[in-house]
Order: sequence, then C-alpha cells, then structure tokens
Amino acid sequence: MSRRTTELLYLVLAGAVSTMAYVSVYAGRFHEIDRRSILYGLVFVVIFLVLHVVVRIYLPQADPYLLPVTALLAAIGLTEIFRIKPSLALLQGQWLIVGALLFALTVVIVRDHVRLDRYRYLIGVLGLALLVFPIVAGTTVNGAKLWIRAFGMSIQPSEFAKIAIVVFLAGYLDDKKVLLSVPTRHVLGVPVPAAKYFGPLVLMGGLALVMLVFMKDFGMSLLFMAVFVALLYMATDRIVYVAAGGGLFAAAAALAVWLVPHVGDRFSIWLDPWAKADTTGYQLLQSLFTIADGGLLGAGFGRGFLLYADRQPVVPDLQTDFIFAAIANEIGLLGGVAVVLCFLLFFWRGMRIATQAPDGFSKLLAGGLAAAFGLQTFIILGGVTRLIPLTGLTLPFVSYGGSSITANLILLALLLMVSHRTNVVRAGTEVERRRLAELG
Amino acid sequence: MNKAITRVFVVGVVLFLALIVNLTYLQVVAADRLAARPENKRQLAKELRIRRGAILSYDGVVLAKSVRRSGFYHRTYPEGSLAPQLVGYDSVRYGRSGLEKQMNEVLLGRAPELGVRSWLDQLLGRRPTGADVVTTLSAEVQRVAQQALIGKRGAIVALDPATGALLADASSPTYDQRGLEDEWAELTVAEDAPLLNRVTQGLYAPGSSFKVVTAAAALEEGVVTPEAQFVDTGTFVIYGGKVTNYGDAVYGPHDFETALTQSINTTFAKVGDKLGRGRLVRKMRAFGFWKVPPLDLPPGSVVASGRYDGEELLSPEAKMDPLAVAWAACGQERVLATPLQMALVAAAVANGGEIMVPYVVEEVRTRDGRVVDEAKPSRWSTAMDPQTALTLNEMMRRVVTSGTGTGAAIEGVEVAGKTGTAERGDSTNLAWFIGFAPASDPEVAVAVVVEDTLATGGAEAAPLAAKVMRAALAAGRRP
Repeated sequence: MSRRTTELLYLVLAGAVSTMAYVSVYAGRFHEIDRRSILYGLVFVVIFLVLHVVVRIYLPQADPYLLPVTALLAAIGLTEIFRIKPSLALLQGQWLIVGALLFALTVVIVRDHVRLDRYRYLIGVLGLALLVFPIVAGTTVNGAKLWIRAFGMSIQPSEFAKIAIVVFLAGYLDDKKVLLSVPTRHVLGVPVPAAKYFGPLVLMGGLALVMLVFMKDFGMSLLFMAVFVALLYMATDRIVYVAAGGGLFAAAAALAVWLVPHVGDRFSIWLDPWAKADTTGYQLLQSLFTIADGGLLGAGFGRGFLLYADRQPVVPDLQTDFIFAAIANEIGLLGGVAVVLCFLLFFWRGMRIATQAPDGFSKLLAGGLAAAFGLQTFIILGGVTRLIPLTGLTLPFVSYGGSSITANLILLALLLMVSHRTNVVRAGTEVERRRLAELG
Repeated sequence: MNKAITRVFVVGVVLFLALIVNLTYLQVVAADRLAARPENKRQLAKELRIRRGAILSYDGVVLAKSVRRSGFYHRTYPEGSLAPQLVGYDSVRYGRSGLEKQMNEVLLGRAPELGVRSWLDQLLGRRPTGADVVTTLSAEVQRVAQQALIGKRGAIVALDPATGALLADASSPTYDQRGLEDEWAELTVAEDAPLLNRVTQGLYAPGSSFKVVTAAAALEEGVVTPEAQFVDTGTFVIYGGKVTNYGDAVYGPHDFETALTQSINTTFAKVGDKLGRGRLVRKMRAFGFWKVPPLDLPPGSVVASGRYDGEELLSPEAKMDPLAVAWAACGQERVLATPLQMALVAAAVANGGEIMVPYVVEEVRTRDGRVVDEAKPSRWSTAMDPQTALTLNEMMRRVVTSGTGTGAAIEGVEVAGKTGTAERGDSTNLAWFIGFAPASDPEVAVAVVVEDTLATGGAEAAPLAAKVMRAALAAGRRP
C-alpha cells in the first residue's frame, strides 16, 4: 500500500471517530441542534481531504501518519470547543480553513525545506521581530503581554516565531556545529568552544529572558529556551550545553519568580493551590477537579459537567489553555491517555523523520520542530495537571485559537516536506529525485 | 547527530509517560479525595440538573421547591423565611444546611429506599427525579411562632408530646433563603447569628424552668411531697455561699407546690441539697440531658444539653460542691439547655413521664405519590413514673392559674407550665416559659426563650407561649 493510501485510510478512520464524537455532543444537547453544526462535520472532512490531495500531489513520499493524527486532534479540539461554546467552534472552523490554506501555500511555494536555508538570516530576523513585536504593540491578557490586535483579531505572533526561529537555528547550528563542538580552551577544566560562535546563542538566551521579564510569558520563554537547548544538543552532541542552558534558565526562572509577581504567583500556586483556592489558585484547582471527575471512562463527549447553569465554563479559559481538562473529563483516563498518545505519536514521527533525514539541516529542522511540538504539549498538559507550574500555552491543534492552529499546520507542512525529501533521497523514483534536484 | 536526536526523543517519551502517570493519579488514585474537597463544588452544581424534591409542611404548604430554568433547576422558597434554619438552604456556592442537607439523597432521588435505578437509565444518562419530603411542621403554628419573636432574639419550639412531632421551630433573628447568596457575608458574621437554629443549637441557662426536673427527681425519690412545708427567709446559706430569690423576694412559710408556682429558689436549693448531685444528675439524664436529641437534622445541628464549661460539655460525673448542686437545682450554675430539650421536659410531664423521639420528617413521597417512608413515633426516654408526672402536671397547672405563669393562660383551655428568669449579671434577663395544653389531655408542648429582656419569664415568654399553643390547638389534633 502506498504511503498516501495508508494516509487516506487513517484519515477516514479519524473522520469516523470525529463523527462519533460530534454525534455524541449533539445527543448530549440535542435540543440545540442546528444546520450550522452539521456543517462543521462536513467542512472538517473536506478540509483534510483537500490537504491529503495537496500532499498526494506535492509530497507523495511524506510520512502517512502525521496528517491523520493531526486531523484526529483537530477534530477532538473542535468537538470540545463546540461542546463548550458553539459560536467559538464556527470561528475555529474558519481558522482551520485559514490554517489549511497556509499549509497548502507553504507546501506549494516552499516545495522543499532546503530552500529555506538560503533565507536563514531573513527568517531569523523575522522570527525575532515577531517575538518582540507584542512588547511594542501588544495587549496584556491574563497578565502576559503576548497578543497583538489587528483587523479585529488577536494574533499571538510567538506561535509563528517558534517556527521561524527553529528554521534559523537549524541552519545556523548545522553550519557551526563542528566549531561549536571543538573546544579551543578550558575553563575550570570544562572544554569551551571559541567565544565568537556563542554570539547568536547568547542572543537566544537573552531573548528568552526578555520574553520572561517584559512579556511575562513564562510558557513561551520556557519553550524557546528548551527547544534551543535541545537543538544545540542535537547539533553538537555535547551534554555541556544542556547543563549550561538548563542552569541558565533555572537561574533566570528563579530570578523571575522572585522579581516578576506574575511568575512568582504561578510558582506558589503550583506548590500550594489550596492556599488561594478562591483567587489565584481557583483556575488550577477547578482544572484538577474537572479532570478528576472524569474518572476512568468519563461520561462521554457532550455528557460531562463542563458548564454551569449560566453557561459559564467550569474552568476559566476552558476552551484554550485548559481544553485538556474538558477532554479528560468527558472521555476519562482512557480517552485522555489516548489523546496524550496521539501527541506522542506525532512527536515520535517527527523525531523519526529527523533521525532518517539525509542532511544535517533537515535533521535539525525536523528534530527542532518535533521537539517544539512535544515540549509545548508537555508544558501545557503538565501545567493543567499540576505536574509542573502552570504557564499559558495552547495545546497544539486542540486548543481554541487561530494562531495556534495555523502555526502548527505550517509546522506540520515543514515536517512532511523533510519526510518527503528523506524518502525520495533514500528510495524515491528517478523522476522524484530529478524533481527534487530541480527545486534546489 | 542521530544519537543525540534519539536521546532527546527518549527524554520526550519519559516526559509523556510522566503525564500519563500523573493523569492516572488524578483520575483514579486521587479522584475521590479531590471530589470530597470542600473547595470542589462540582457535585453541587451537577445536582442542579436533577429535579430536586419539594419540602412541605404537614398542612401542605410548600417550604422549598425547584423550578426549571434553561435546563437547570433552581431552588426557591415560596414562603420566604418560614423556618429557614430548620428547612435550611441549598446553595451551589455555600453548600447545604438543615433538612436540605439531611434529606439530600431523598430530595435528589438517589436514596436506596426510593428503589434502584435500572442500568438502562444509568446508561442513557437519565437523571433521577427527586422525592418530596413532608415535614411535621404546621405552617400556621410556625407563622404565629415567628411573628411572636419579631423584634426579639430568642426561640420558640412546639411539639406534640404524644408523638414527638415538631410543630414549630422558630429562631429569631431569622433570614430569607432567597437572599442567602447575596447576603452571605453579612449573615455569617452577624453577631446575632441569624443562620443559627436557636431551638436546637442555642444553649441557654434554663433558670427556673429547670425546677420541673428538680421537682420530678425530688417527688419520685420521696424527698418531698407537694404538701411538704418550708420556710423562706430570702437566703439559703450553704457551703460558704448562699442561694437567694429572684428580686430578693422573701416568701416566709409555704409548701413545696407553692415553691414551684412562685419559683422560690431557696426551697429548691434545699431540695437539691437533700437530693444530692448523684440523684439530680441521674434525673437530668433520664430527661435527655447529655444526649443529642435524635432529631432528623445533620450532625452538629442539634446539640446536647447538660453542664458546660465554656464550649465544652462536662461529663455527668464531673465534681460539684453542695453550693453548685443547690444552684443547679434552680437551673443556674453551669447547667445549659437548648429550647428543644426544655420542650422535651414539658412534653415528659405532659406524656405521663415518657419522652417520645422528636422528629420532623413525617413522610417521604415520590413524585408519583407513592409514600416510601413514614415516621413511626417511638419512645426516646422515660423521664419519670406516671404518678410523678401526674403530680407535676397538677402543680404546673397552678403555675398558670395562680403562680408566675398566668400570662400563659388561654381562655377555655387548661394550661400547665413553668416560667424561668435567668439573670445574666448585666441587668438583662433570659425569659423562659415551658408548658403544655390542654393540661388533662395535652396536644402541644412548648418552650419559649427570649434573650436580652428586662422582663421576667412570666411577663415576656408566657404570653408568647399562649399564642403558639392557641394556634396549635386551633390547628387541631393530627391523626
């Protein structure tokens, strides 16, 4: 069976599961069924079939599991958003269309990710600009300054900056990896590479600090720093960078906990949410209560207790950062673990693409994107389940939010590109190889 | 490079496994503990989707019911504040109290006696329907009792001595359940505690109303007869202290019956001294002191009467010197009693010495009218023998005809009772009246207590008791 047929098969499977989820939500609130809600299901299936066709034409040898697992996660997210607030599901559906368009555009225009490396510094500067922009023109939401308002919409540029910076770092580190791993001198017995190659790296670390202090965006800052350290490690194979990066971030975090009240609050809530159960700890506790209430099996999609009598969600921000609490409540531990495994599957395929990729840039790009995806998932899921301090991040593909879903679909497109190139280089047909060569 | 990538992948897998382990902990291991946290109001909020049963008075007045609004049920209290401390509140934010708490499983239709729900109902998520709770309260008697207390602090309780059925439970100041959520902050800190059910939770020095217990002990033990002669000089000196009369009155020569009707402390002190600690305390226990009356209310909503040291109930065996015994015989010293307990003292005399188990839930009825649970009156305690009860009954009639309790008289009905005036040292009194009517065949027993009054039990409490008893008699005997 060809890769694309496998993909189509799994897409149909994901479509069937999503339809069941939709039907269950309708049944749970059947007195509110309307034509629009049927439309969601149809539009959803059509969107992913179109993406499948795009991949079939342009990236025929790409990994067959990533698109179906994305579809499944997006379906669960959309269903749960519809469950919580139907009007938002329509908006999210529109964002999904925008995301699908951007996915198709990325595939059609870029064709081969290797071409991106030519614009390495341009992309790096773009990423930086996207990150810094909210500091200048941003609005403060939940104590963090990470949104810009444009054309009546809120955009979270850091979701896009994440991708741009991974592209930049993958290229830069692939170039400098030898230099970075060869020590020129020793400091306290530890081998240290030449100082000039540290420039961009110090810049990166500084950036994470700036995000932490000026934007108070603990989540994104943590994600950037972690992805950066992961990339550095993957490029150089030197654990000393992990230790240095980890130490640096730990020190920065400790300083932030001490100096920035917003960050300090989050930390103390994590340690003891009960002390401020009615105020700052309320959201996390309600999340834990909602998750715990799901039990082993949950009540089923549309049957959990997620809305109060006045239609307010039981956890503030339930449809965005806390969407996993809603999912774990409605489909229980079994469903919750299944969702976690879906993310793990995505992460695994991404890392697998990285190990098999034919060149360093491709490896680092796929590895960086997969690591960013996996870490973002871990940081927010760990946050809402009190495994780690809660920091605001969206759950990729699932949370309500236009920036999140569009950016992650672009991330998916890039991973598929790397995968396609890998498989063509390793075992593609003569025609495919020629086409790829022509692009370069 | 691949080695490092694989390592990063392994770290990622470990992190994801940690997520799964933590999720399992939350949803399986800690789930029950989290559900039971007081901060967790999910259960309460969920129950809003169940049609909660109504709480009714015996005469069919709806005290609490649920109405559906956009898929959820809202609790309403059509009568406003009729027995709010007893009926209780049902609030998502602040939990439940009173009958709303005690009868919760029945009201939500989940109690086992309502029948097991089929697996099909559970599978399809069909919600149970709550059953109605019919109380023993008489809306009319309750209304009269609450009106009698308007502008005062205190409590009135009326019950049927033959069955133990509670007819009225009035506690003042009161509150309106409909405004509970808005006024919660004020209600919980208010110094006059409107949320408190003074009938079952208010501990008061019973004062001379307690002399009924002392008299029962003394008569039964043969320490005195109603005709036994005493001489009062205004003071009884004992164990380095003295017992005096209310208002420093001096009564001269008199018999024991007069000591009760005029409430002469010195004589009761003498009688208490003769009785001794052991026999007095034994009789108190027979009347129900040191036991929590088993009224169907949540734990903590009914407290035991007895001797207290501050907030702490002293053991019945706690040491008392003769002066303490003498004062205790007059209902002073460390003796504290709830109005419910004092009503049960009156009921014991009214019911030939037997105290019936006090109860407030008459029956539980499913929505389709099936009675699934019905109260069966039973004996709680034997306070004294029937002969002593009859003697005391006659003595207490004279309290109302010619003693301190004339204010409790009802035209055409023979009333028996006992007043009490506990001085609080700041020139305000605690005014008591306990009694029953008709004296020959009692249908109602009452206890009235009014806090912070300048008047005596006879002047302040007895007229209120008359009002409530008249209303109870007008409401008629129940089957």
